[in-house]
Amino acid sequence: MRIPELNKRVFIISVVFAHAAIAGTETSEVDEGEFEVSEEILAIVGDAEYGEYLAGDCTGCHQIDGSYDGIPSITGWESESFVWAMQSYKQKEREHPVMQMMAGRLSDEEIAALAAYFEKLE
Amino acid sequence: MKLNRRTFMGTAAAASMSAPAVYAGAHGRPRVVVVGGGAGGATAARYIAKDSKGEIDVTLVEPTRTYYTCFFSNLYLGGFKDFVDIGHSYGNLAANGVNVVHDWAVGVDRDTKTVSLAGGANLSYDKLILSPGIDFVDGAVNGWDLSAQNSMPHAYKAGSQTELLKAQLAAMPAGGVFAMVAPPNPYRCPPGPYERVSMVAHYLKNNNPTAKIIVADPKPKFSKMALFQEGWANHYDGMIDWVGADFGGADVSVDPSAMSVTIDGEENKVHVCNVIPAMKAGRIAELAGVTDGKWAPVNAADMSTKADANVYVLGDASQQGDMPKSGFSANSQAKVCANAVRGALTGSKVFPAKFSNTCWSLISTNDGVKVGATYQATPEKIAKVDGFISATGESADVRQATYEESEGWYSGITSDMFG
Repeated sequence: MRIPELNKRVFIISVVFAHAAIAGTETSEVDEGEFEVSEEILAIVGDAEYGEYLAGDCTGCHQIDGSYDGIPSITGWESESFVWAMQSYKQKEREHPVMQMMAGRLSDEEIAALAAYFEKLE
Repeated sequence: MKLNRRTFMGTAAAASMSAPAVYAGAHGRPRVVVVGGGAGGATAARYIAKDSKGEIDVTLVEPTRTYYTCFFSNLYLGGFKDFVDIGHSYGNLAANGVNVVHDWAVGVDRDTKTVSLAGGANLSYDKLILSPGIDFVDGAVNGWDLSAQNSMPHAYKAGSQTELLKAQLAAMPAGGVFAMVAPPNPYRCPPGPYERVSMVAHYLKNNNPTAKIIVADPKPKFSKMALFQEGWANHYDGMIDWVGADFGGADVSVDPSAMSVTIDGEENKVHVCNVIPAMKAGRIAELAGVTDGKWAPVNAADMSTKADANVYVLGDASQQGDMPKSGFSANSQAKVCANAVRGALTGSKVFPAKFSNTCWSLISTNDGVKVGATYQATPEKIAKVDGFISATGESADVRQATYEESEGWYSGITSDMFG
């Protein structure tokens, strides 16, 4: 799913639906509230090579081939959706103890690096 | 091929283009030997082969052709998994460039950089990664040694031992007694014995409801203790008698021929006895001379041993600091190590070490709990940064979601290990 422009309201709604669609489950959270990520953070260009290394912390749980088996796929996510999701965990706006912990220790640059890596995976 | 000047130059050019930046020339591709194909070793072998794209020659030495994961083996005991569900082959690793050798590593010569195998072969290495898991400390439990493991299984290296314990559990007489001798710290999978108690209780509740479980524990407290004790009271009230160190749980001896367990001077006749002895690094780490006491001290930045910069130890066998000995930890350490080893051998970029761990445990149907933490490398050790643990009194929905997450994790980590 492409996000046509960085109009924040459109962006938030798009992300919510993107998550539900990609996770492939009807039980995926759809009401995350209006958490906003600043344009400065969204503008960070991630280093995909660093992201590939950091992804080692993700692929112990999230299957790299995109299989969904109790833990959502993060493969092929649109970069901005990925950043939004990770920032919402980092800021503890979104519930999940593992994800809050994992996102909580990543810098904005590291989140951008992961987003750049996962976006290019098919 | 006839060697003329043109073909010679062509060969030379191709060789120099593909030659690794650091270990160029002397003996072709740099060689990594990995000993042990579990969560640490399989992951390290797979990542080095995958990320080096053929620049590094990777050999994995693992005796078993089908690897049964210790994690989730308790769920097999509880009837939540079939045995085949926890078995994995090395076929995908072989198909993706790892030279998989099914043999035992029986010696390491760090001067000549060779690993000797039980079958007689020798493997040369530039970098050696040992991920041998655990062995048991001799004489740790009075009356028990490996010759007694059929009468009193440990089932703490998954495989035939796990099947044996399950068969013994199923054969218990009505109202029989299942005993466990729990291990002292540190040991593989801190919540493992207590998840096992939960799964055994689950099985007995459904199949042999008047049976009892007695646990002799040398520790005064254990991982996720409040969560397990709450769950035991909720699901298995009156079935489990846990005898901790404060009540004589450390004073234990067993008699495999009489099937008795004596705790704090009191003899108990039992029908199944699961003895989980004190642990140490897998034997090959000791043979390699990289252990100090029971475990192998390592540098947190790359998992290289304190004894030898070209020998790395991953997972349970390592003494690294704050991480628990778990499959998740070993998998996390393997990726840091793989990045460092590849960098050392090919000049690829080495990123700073980051580690994480999460351990899920199942208490009863859809009643899952978890504990986890993140870690960083310091000059002294792998140090904890942040962590979480499930709360007592959580809703059934949260517990079910935690269990479902653990299923996803199992698929995730086994894919990450075996491809």
